[in-house]
Amino acid sequence: MAVTNQALPSGYALLNYRIDRQISRGGFSIVYRAFDETGQPVAIKEYLPSSLVLRTEGDIVRASSAENLTSFRYGMKCFFEEGRALAKINHPNVVRVLNFFRANETVYMVMRYERGRTLQQQIQMRQDQMSERFVRQVFMQLLNGLREVHTHKILHLDIKPANIYLRTDGSPVLLDFGAARQTLTTNRPKLAPMYTPGFAAPEQYRDHDRLGPWTDVYGTGASMFACLAAFAPQAADARLQEDHLVSAKKIWSGQYSDNLLEVIDWCLRLDPLERPQSVFALQRAIRDIAPAKRKLTFLGNLKRLLFSEIGA
Amino acid sequence: MRFTIFQESRKGAREVNQDRLAYTYSRETLLLVIADGMGGHVGGEIAAQIAVRLFIERFQQEAKPILRNPLKFMQETMLRAHAALGSYASQFSMLETPRTTCVAVVVQGGQAYWAHVGDSRFYLLRRGRLIATTKDHSKVQYLVDQGIIAPQDVALHPDRNKIFSCLGGMTEPVIDLSKRTPILDGDILILCTDGLWSVYPHGEMATMLTSTPILTTAPQILREAERRGGAEGDNASAIIVRWGPETLADEPTTTDNLVPGQFETQVDTTVTLTDRAGMQRDLTDDEIERAIAEIQSTIQKYRK
Repeated sequence: MAVTNQALPSGYALLNYRIDRQISRGGFSIVYRAFDETGQPVAIKEYLPSSLVLRTEGDIVRASSAENLTSFRYGMKCFFEEGRALAKINHPNVVRVLNFFRANETVYMVMRYERGRTLQQQIQMRQDQMSERFVRQVFMQLLNGLREVHTHKILHLDIKPANIYLRTDGSPVLLDFGAARQTLTTNRPKLAPMYTPGFAAPEQYRDHDRLGPWTDVYGTGASMFACLAAFAPQAADARLQEDHLVSAKKIWSGQYSDNLLEVIDWCLRLDPLERPQSVFALQRAIRDIAPAKRKLTFLGNLKRLLFSEIGA
Repeated sequence: MRFTIFQESRKGAREVNQDRLAYTYSRETLLLVIADGMGGHVGGEIAAQIAVRLFIERFQQEAKPILRNPLKFMQETMLRAHAALGSYASQFSMLETPRTTCVAVVVQGGQAYWAHVGDSRFYLLRRGRLIATTKDHSKVQYLVDQGIIAPQDVALHPDRNKIFSCLGGMTEPVIDLSKRTPILDGDILILCTDGLWSVYPHGEMATMLTSTPILTTAPQILREAERRGGAEGDNASAIIVRWGPETLADEPTTTDNLVPGQFETQVDTTVTLTDRAGMQRDLTDDEIERAIAEIQSTIQKYRK
């Protein structure tokens, strides 16, 4: 069996927080639920790259070799980038950073704990189609958050359903800025971001000079597509070779408004210049969407909405 | 073989030295190699280190006692270094493949052979004149070839750092291989990174090196290059060799005492991967503390 990094145990005292349990584990970190000294729950993200096994027992993170230490510190820079990016943003639809500290020879980011589930889980759990109203509600709010992110000259670069968290009241929170870089500023060496096939824009694979708000617009369009399809669109690098993506307008014509489908197709254009060039342009296009044409589906939609709220 | 050799790397105004250089020789064959790691982070150092180390290791495996095909050896080593950088990046989940330029020279049987990728250069000087050199894989060199800019404009051109071939890049490297070129006693071989050639015209180096002992003059050239680089100065590195028995004041190196299978190697003394203290220069404890303090204060500032 492969050796993996050991998570901190339940009850572990970390600064003035007490670890409750591991919530998730990603390529570069482990996220825990913890409680602060007042008993408020928080989410704590621990920088611990899974490719480097650095902690097989206890709590201290130790590099096993000099080369590992180099890679470990290199990745830590990216973790700081995420912290820097998020610290500036105080918006209801963007995850809020509460604290950032160093311990156990690694670094930790404390975030507001949210109750709910990811849009990814929501998509996977659903039996029937997501309603247009639900999709529009989620994405209109999410785009408010994304607009705030772009205002701070930060690109998210990994927008996908797994990084969109739905609170129990249905409002979305944009998570995981691990790929975020301040790429809207010039004359800084850019780091190539991580990307998720299906949600990453074509320029993320090859043309890092062309990253911009339209790159997050592609991820947003792909996420909306995934809400309708329950799977991700064809990966952009494959599309560049041979584009098999069938337009949303063709697949769901009649089931969703033409405008919503057109907006999705617009966001998913391979050429960055052909997409909405800003979040604002995209929001304007979504606002323009006429109410669903088929009145008959209104009741159905309402029913679905009710079920989704009860089920959540 | 008899020759006088000098190598040095100076950091210039940069925080990190991403140049790596080394030479190694057997009784019959001499290898010189320089790599200039690219990018503003630790990746550049790693890339240059891997390329140079691979050259030394492969040389010691293949030069038994001579390289069967020096040009093929250099080409294969560069391709292997390119592949090694790709797998290094994925092994350590690096976000970007480390990249480096590379120039290597082999002298064997009275002939010199060289290969290069990027904009690190080789100059062959004879009686104070340049008789052979490499052609940079750079945007500015292309502009010179097209007659758009003059050769003397290269050093100050805003795009002078853009190169289209390197080890570790997205595409296979373009590797230029030289012809077999006879080497005569008194010839001067210079391998250098752009931090040196951009501030030192080869004519000036030729004048200085031809008439003075290189072990005296070469260190002066490197120091002066660093001074000329000033506050923006890049890492500047060179390996300088005078071929043949010494006629000036230097004490030449002889390979006559080496038995077959024996090698002498000199890797530069700048930071290496196993140098723990050096590595922390990438992100020091101080820098970590500062980054955290900065994030903390930002959180406070934006707290409602």
